[in-house]
Amino acid sequence: MIITGNALVMGDNVNTDVLHPSQFFSLDDNKVRSGFMQAASGYEQVGTGDLSGRIILAGDNFGCGSSRETGARVFVLAGVRAIVARSLARIFSSNVRNLGLLAVECPTLPSLTESGFEVEIDLENSTLDIGTEGQRFALKRLDPFWEAVIREGGLMGFLGFNNSQ
Amino acid sequence: MKEQTLTEKLLLRKVSEPILSGSEYFRIPIDLVLGHDATIALLIDRFKKAGQHIWDPARCFFAADHFAPPSTPERADILNRYLSFVKEESVPEDLLYRGISHQLLVEDRRCQPGMVICGADSHTVMAGALGCFAAGMGSTDIMAILLTGKVILSIPKSIRVRLTGKMPSCLFGKDIALEIIRRIGEGGALDHALEYHDHTEMGISIDSRFTISNMSVEAGATNGVFVPDETLKHYLERRDASAQGGGLSVGAGFEAIWLQPDAGADYAQHLNINVEEVPPLVALPGNLSRIVPISEVEPRPVQQVFVGSCAGGRVEDLAITARLLRNRRVAPGVRLVVTPASQTVYYQCLRNGIFEVLAEAGALITNSSCGACGGIDKGLIGAGEVCLSTSNRNFRGRMGSPDGLIYLASPLVAAAAAIFGRLVDPRPLLEEAGIHNFHSDPWPSRLGVAGGSL
Repeated sequence: MIITGNALVMGDNVNTDVLHPSQFFSLDDNKVRSGFMQAASGYEQVGTGDLSGRIILAGDNFGCGSSRETGARVFVLAGVRAIVARSLARIFSSNVRNLGLLAVECPTLPSLTESGFEVEIDLENSTLDIGTEGQRFALKRLDPFWEAVIREGGLMGFLGFNNSQ
Repeated sequence: MKEQTLTEKLLLRKVSEPILSGSEYFRIPIDLVLGHDATIALLIDRFKKAGQHIWDPARCFFAADHFAPPSTPERADILNRYLSFVKEESVPEDLLYRGISHQLLVEDRRCQPGMVICGADSHTVMAGALGCFAAGMGSTDIMAILLTGKVILSIPKSIRVRLTGKMPSCLFGKDIALEIIRRIGEGGALDHALEYHDHTEMGISIDSRFTISNMSVEAGATNGVFVPDETLKHYLERRDASAQGGGLSVGAGFEAIWLQPDAGADYAQHLNINVEEVPPLVALPGNLSRIVPISEVEPRPVQQVFVGSCAGGRVEDLAITARLLRNRRVAPGVRLVVTPASQTVYYQCLRNGIFEVLAEAGALITNSSCGACGGIDKGLIGAGEVCLSTSNRNFRGRMGSPDGLIYLASPLVAAAAAIFGRLVDPRPLLEEAGIHNFHSDPWPSRLGVAGGSL
């Protein structure tokens, strides 16, 4: 599977409370969507803008904190195509993958500052290509279980239940 | 067989084959699943589409604690959806308005050492203090558990934390949790288990242990488990004796299994902490990457002090707050919000005189719930306000405005901040109040009424 998109760069230890503040916890998708990144300093405008086709490139421990699944669902609602981070918090990465969205680790990903360049993820070969200068990094191979979950569009699909969200 | 850590023992005794060939994930049968109004409400519609019922309602430990009572009409609707679902699925529903789910779980005799517990909230890790494997997860994982009775997990490697020395009166579970994060970093235990070996003189109190296990997730850990010992045994004996005749009857399948790690188990890392060398610590606002001794923190004014949450709203926390505030007043202009973690904590503090001392000092005592932690209600902060909190997260916007600041510290540091209206080293106050052996006698009977001892 090849996934391409435009990079949105984020930092280290970005927690789910800043990605999706609890005031936006709701069963209403519009309200959930409107809370994206509303406490992430400098990302408030980006969060409510058009994020379809974007690929998040983040640092260490991305998604640490709360298990509220609205904090994962909002990535899906915003149309984010994939999440790559140097390391991913366990609950968050499971939540995202359980909803069928790819989240994968790239341990050698350097600290980036500018967003906006093209990104290509090759899952089969576990590589990440970024920018026009052809920088290539190795992705941490997904466990076969997670590969299957992503392939089935989420955990419910993998388990053979109705997968509609 | 290979020698095992406690987490390996807790999980591997229940499984054999990985879920798929070449995978490190296993399907593990669950003993208890914890849920609350907010995160269970998120899964109801999708759960119904699966067209099945909960595999075993008796193993659901659901408590309304987030929107209980609700602070907005939307949250009232969410709570009601949750309550209808609980009723439809015949889940035991005696846990409404009783306090924070994590605290109710460890107070309940359905929660026993050796169990595998998953919960729809990251602080489910707290039950690790009772020698359980306890991990938090999102609503989809919990939905899968409700349908199948099994969780899909990899077995984490463990970091062994050995605690020695004698707990000084100025030190609390919060300080030890912060010390661990200070040493290994905010994500220092990512995908690992923290395994706590308490070799301190007298043992760390069970209330402080709950806080340490609770904050394991702030270091990124999957679970944080205390090796079962005499302290745990005494707690459970008292807990389960007092529960007799009241509460739910506990049937077969809720028995304790006392496991110990093997002496030759393989650990990813060893951490040795002499508690006598740890000073009262403070996490500076924003995240848990800046943790410093209170003596090095600038004496900044605070507008709010919050003593509450599943990481700082237990009897021990309220007792030290009351002992410092006894015959004193909260500083003018400061709001001290006290939110007991459960109704059991509430009643205990009501009976033994802690509430009287707190109320006389000017504290605002709320019903037991998650309250201000998580920005839910009763004690949110505005732009430019500074809050010192005994809770577990100081993240931007967590307790209200993104432009407010949250410092985390022990209830002792919190009480001192309430008295002086600024961040201050609490140790001189402890000296002044003549508190030299807090941990062996947290609330001496002379302070309270008969029958109200801790």
